[in-house]
Amino acid sequence: MNGYTRGVKNAFRNKVRTVSIILILGLSTGLALSMLAANQAVTSKIEAVKGSVGNTVSISPAGARGFEGGGDPLTADDIAKVSKLANVVSVNKTLSDRVTSDNSNLQSAVDAGSLGRRFAGNNGQGFQAPAKLRERGDGGSSSQITRTFTPPVTIIGTNTPSKLATSEGSSSSTLTLTSGKLFDGTSTENVATVGKSLAEKNNLSVGSTFTLYGKDVTVVGIFDTGTSFSNNQVIMPIAALQTLSSQTDQYTSVTLTVNSIENVATVTTAAKSALGDSADVTNGSEQAESTVAPLKNIQTISTYSLIAAVGAGAVIMLLTMIMIVRERRREIGVLKAIGASNAKIATQFAAESITFTLLATIIGFIVAAIAAQPLVTALASSSSSSTNMGGPMRGMRGGFRALENVQNISATLDWSIILYGLGVAILIAIVGSLLTSFFIAKVRPAEVMRTE
Amino acid sequence: MITVSKLSKTFKSQGGDVAAVKNVSFTVEDGEFASIIGRSGSGKSTLLGLLGALDSPTDGSIVVGEKDITKLHDHALIDYRCRKIGFVFQNYNLIPNLTALENVMLPMEFAGVPKSERRPRAFELLEQVGLDEEQARRKPTRLSGGQQQRVSIARALANNPSLILADEPTGNLDSQTGEMIFDLLHSLARSENTTIIAVTHDLEIAGKTDRTFMLQDGVMTKKR
Repeated sequence: MNGYTRGVKNAFRNKVRTVSIILILGLSTGLALSMLAANQAVTSKIEAVKGSVGNTVSISPAGARGFEGGGDPLTADDIAKVSKLANVVSVNKTLSDRVTSDNSNLQSAVDAGSLGRRFAGNNGQGFQAPAKLRERGDGGSSSQITRTFTPPVTIIGTNTPSKLATSEGSSSSTLTLTSGKLFDGTSTENVATVGKSLAEKNNLSVGSTFTLYGKDVTVVGIFDTGTSFSNNQVIMPIAALQTLSSQTDQYTSVTLTVNSIENVATVTTAAKSALGDSADVTNGSEQAESTVAPLKNIQTISTYSLIAAVGAGAVIMLLTMIMIVRERRREIGVLKAIGASNAKIATQFAAESITFTLLATIIGFIVAAIAAQPLVTALASSSSSSTNMGGPMRGMRGGFRALENVQNISATLDWSIILYGLGVAILIAIVGSLLTSFFIAKVRPAEVMRTE
Repeated sequence: MITVSKLSKTFKSQGGDVAAVKNVSFTVEDGEFASIIGRSGSGKSTLLGLLGALDSPTDGSIVVGEKDITKLHDHALIDYRCRKIGFVFQNYNLIPNLTALENVMLPMEFAGVPKSERRPRAFELLEQVGLDEEQARRKPTRLSGGQQQRVSIARALANNPSLILADEPTGNLDSQTGEMIFDLLHSLARSENTTIIAVTHDLEIAGKTDRTFMLQDGVMTKKR
């Protein structure tokens, strides 16, 4: 038997006390590990959210978004200014246009339906009364008009077709070519890739043509995005669309790709400064910040709880070891009297302390395995409640996304957490042992003999 | 030989300095069995603690062999206690969760005796003080007072010390057992040529030792 085995053996001298200490320390360790698991899960979620937002800055004409609002399009001069900004690695330019039977032979693959008619009416777009009413010359009241509005077809001009989100601004659907190919983004030729539904509606295939602003446009590819809306669109080189639609050097949106997500805010500020009031400049990170706000709440709570739980564990261990040393002052004196050095006695007590903490860590792993997910769910629930209480605007899209994020956190005990747990256990044991050593060194054998 | 010269120990207390040992001088030859007698509070245990390097004197010297132990540094003092001294206490002071055998092996571990040598040596010592193998495997709580004191003596002998210091070794034992323990110490002093200094109240026992010193209020008043 040596100091280590004696220390391990000593840990079980008072079994009731040992079980109590291990249970209390185990609960503390379990809470710490649960909070660590929560912290890691939330940190991972925050990174995922921020990563999904990407390192892009969106620029649109001031007051316009897609086909809504007003204002003037962005110009080539605007593009030149933002292209020169530091940390901008690429510029995705887009011109969106909508064509009807007046300037194209394309027929929309989407029926107007009641929504389309309402949108058209709200937009003030024309719709015609049936021929019979017109022939009678009374036109009828608006309530009597049978609306025959047909939705226009959206044409998107781009210099980077491979990066294009198929619907400007809002869609995140993935474009998949079902036949043919994508065109060269710098091309000036009248070529296009056509959405699957639109192609079927107009009997288009690779090599066939359709008319746009009186010119023939050749279909080079058919794509599928999986959504009816996006599959009713046409994508073509921006230069070709600008020429055909007589919108030379005009752009409806620009997306800047920044070299690092860390520089997104800087580029956003610089773009706002360069373009002034002529453009609306936004980046996803601002939205991401509001989206991850409840996650950060959980992260903060879990961090503080982790520190508190580790601190509580250390205090429990310290008090336990101090109590044990005080209780065994005479025994320490005897060990010194028969030739033990402070270091040898301290080693024995350190082994005892490590035994407590390692056993408590095992209990802690079990507690964390059971409690981590319920604790995270409770934290998420609490955080969700506070998000919902953040005002009417937060209840909208960002709020829903935030709720979705906090409710989908999964806390798991992986190897890194187990290693952290062991590390913390050893740290607590060392802290306990260091103070114990101090008290051991202060015990003078002669004093112990006198107080017998 | 142990030579104690003008040894003093003063403690500081709230009521002022208290001199527990005052200017004590004596000599004990190698292999002698000496006793220190005196009333409670006369400074006997303090003197024993000073001889065993458990405490440092305020003044004076203790020369053991050729070394003045009052001038040794901490590491040397630990080594001195470990290899040169064996303690026998009135309350035995055995480690309660270790067996008798393990208690005897403890000083050997501190002295760096190889593990393979500790166990047979401990058994041998326990046998020497009259404990069999079964008793050697018992924890102290399962041994009688006399048996515990025998274990304590075996532990004191573990590293072949040149000096055994016994603080009231028979104080907690009945007279018959006390006499047996005393005889055991006496025979060991003879067979091992070990110097023994024992503190005792028992004048009858003190009378059987080679030399007796009497302490009164910290002052050595009588030598025999």
